[in-house]
Amino acid sequence: MPDVTVSVDNVSKRYRLHRGWHGSLRTELAAGLRRLVRRERSEEDIYWALKDVSFEMQRGDVVGFIGSNGAGKSTLLKILSRVTAPTSGSFSARGRVGALIEIGAGFHPELTGRDNIYLNGSILGMRRREIEAKLDRIIAFAEIDRFIDTPIKFYSSGMQVKLGFAVAVHVDPEILLIDEVLAVGDASFQTKCLNKLAELKEQDKTIVLVSHNMANIVQHSKKVLWMQAGRVAAYGEPESVVDQYLKSVREQLTSEDPSESVSQAMSDADRPIRIDTVTLCDREGRARQVFATDEAACVEIGYTVQRAVPDPVFEVTVQDGHGHFLGGVTTRFDAVKIDTSREQGRVRLVLHPLLFLKGDYTINVHVRDEYIQRYHDYRKRAAVLIVEGPSIASREISGHVNYPHRWEIL
Amino acid sequence: MRTYLAEFWEHKDLTLSFAVRDIKARYKQTALGAAWAVLQPFSLMVVFTLVFSSFAQVPSDGVPYPIFSYAGLIFWTFFATAVSQGTAAIVANSNLVRKIYFPRETLLVSIVLAAGLDLAIAGVIFGVMMGYYQIPVPVTVLWVPVLLAVQTLFALAVVCFTSAIHVTLRDIGHGIPLLLQLWMFATPVAYPLSVVPARLLPIYQLNPMTPIIDGYRRVILHGQPPDLPALATATVITLVLLALGYVFFKRAEGTFADVI
Repeated sequence: MPDVTVSVDNVSKRYRLHRGWHGSLRTELAAGLRRLVRRERSEEDIYWALKDVSFEMQRGDVVGFIGSNGAGKSTLLKILSRVTAPTSGSFSARGRVGALIEIGAGFHPELTGRDNIYLNGSILGMRRREIEAKLDRIIAFAEIDRFIDTPIKFYSSGMQVKLGFAVAVHVDPEILLIDEVLAVGDASFQTKCLNKLAELKEQDKTIVLVSHNMANIVQHSKKVLWMQAGRVAAYGEPESVVDQYLKSVREQLTSEDPSESVSQAMSDADRPIRIDTVTLCDREGRARQVFATDEAACVEIGYTVQRAVPDPVFEVTVQDGHGHFLGGVTTRFDAVKIDTSREQGRVRLVLHPLLFLKGDYTINVHVRDEYIQRYHDYRKRAAVLIVEGPSIASREISGHVNYPHRWEIL
Repeated sequence: MRTYLAEFWEHKDLTLSFAVRDIKARYKQTALGAAWAVLQPFSLMVVFTLVFSSFAQVPSDGVPYPIFSYAGLIFWTFFATAVSQGTAAIVANSNLVRKIYFPRETLLVSIVLAAGLDLAIAGVIFGVMMGYYQIPVPVTVLWVPVLLAVQTLFALAVVCFTSAIHVTLRDIGHGIPLLLQLWMFATPVAYPLSVVPARLLPIYQLNPMTPIIDGYRRVILHGQPPDLPALATATVITLVLLALGYVFFKRAEGTFADVI
């Protein structure tokens, strides 16, 4: 029998922009008068962070929340954790809701580590007796036993995070909300977090996971909820929802007019070398946008020399769909000289094999001087490279690049 | 209302934790420490004794003026501290309110509890003064817990309104100290109730703090019971305000995180 622990029913959340008594009395009165005269509330200062959101979660569910920034993920988390109330609609959660959202919120710098364990533990919903019973484990987990009776204002920030995390993971809630912020710790901290997550999954808790890392989402979630502009775009089986989401991100990227990305700030006089065209093509020079991981892909750059400059350097950099910088190559590194004697020129970067895994990558092109003192021209998002192939959703490979490799059994 | 109360009761340990935090943190890195809890009412008593008793010849119902005014002042200070700090409590904990859910009234109750500890410390000096002036402790002193209960609930009722409004309207933070100053002079703290003109008394008695402060003096210094009709009225006003205030507070609570 399905055991529903979280049920969200038609929840909407409205925020007022620049409303409330935040302005001066005069502007408030003026705005109030205007509303009175028009007898209506202007729609422009209203923002729906969530609109008619409905879904259910069951015991043992691990649900990944995905969506671009501002899609409503954080607002939804705030509603689930009851930090803020929905404007309309209702939701119910059965069992204690814990949130690994703000590690160490509510620590008081003047109090000792021990006092703060009691304070923070009870803020997170633990009874005093429960904290007493878990105190030794919390102190051991945080690895701060020597400093437990020192005011935490003397702790390093790393020690404070460890203590906050130690308390948070011992709260033992029925429903756990985990936000991306967990990804900011160091490697050992993240490992601890992932191990704890596995432990909680075994205990049949209901877990919400918010992340921009699709590999993590697919690996850990049973279901995925995709939020778009405050609404549920899709909810269901992780691989298909993540695929739909990635597809929509790609459509958005490719629909952006590349000419807009030409630097508007630079006038022609500032641009001794102008990048005219950036095209993706195959070895034969045929324009293409979609490639396979093991194919060759070329980035062809056409440029105009408006004024001779010594030794210009072309640089091509790659970002993933979320704007994370993946790497770049330069003509200088490979000791390629750019000919500036002719007015028009073309240079082609051949990536063979491509190595990139399934996904969307934006290509940025710069031309600059040898010493990175001066950019002659730059084109952000000059092209979008789409790679088809084994998906991250297949859980077999993660990351963006398939390195040349093999395994040897010894 | 019942679910609110049940949830609050669930979080009684949190309320205590907040109170402990407030008490422990308040006098950290101070040389005088808890003596500050005494200094506020005690210095006011000295000033009042000079101004009202020596200069203005205000009567004090047959007890020495210093202990007369100190009796009023320690209980008034308890109320004033609870109201001024309680009003700011939600905003002062905005980093918590924005991030984690817990019943927000725990912050208000903890402030009142912490103010109660200051009262207890100031009360020790009061006991010493009772001995110095050789005033015997009457049996009517058993009324003190009743008065204290009404006063505590009244302070909570006030901060339910003021703290919730303070989240959106910070003017309250500026207005409350002024209001408390005026309020103290509208309450028989520095002078006895007996000097209030009879025609003003019906309005004057509507202030719940009047029978409470007057009541403390009666039961501790004079061995009389409090003015029961006036105290009953004050209790009714308190309970009605508290019920309204609590519902108001819980309604507003849902959007604290959005506007704080």
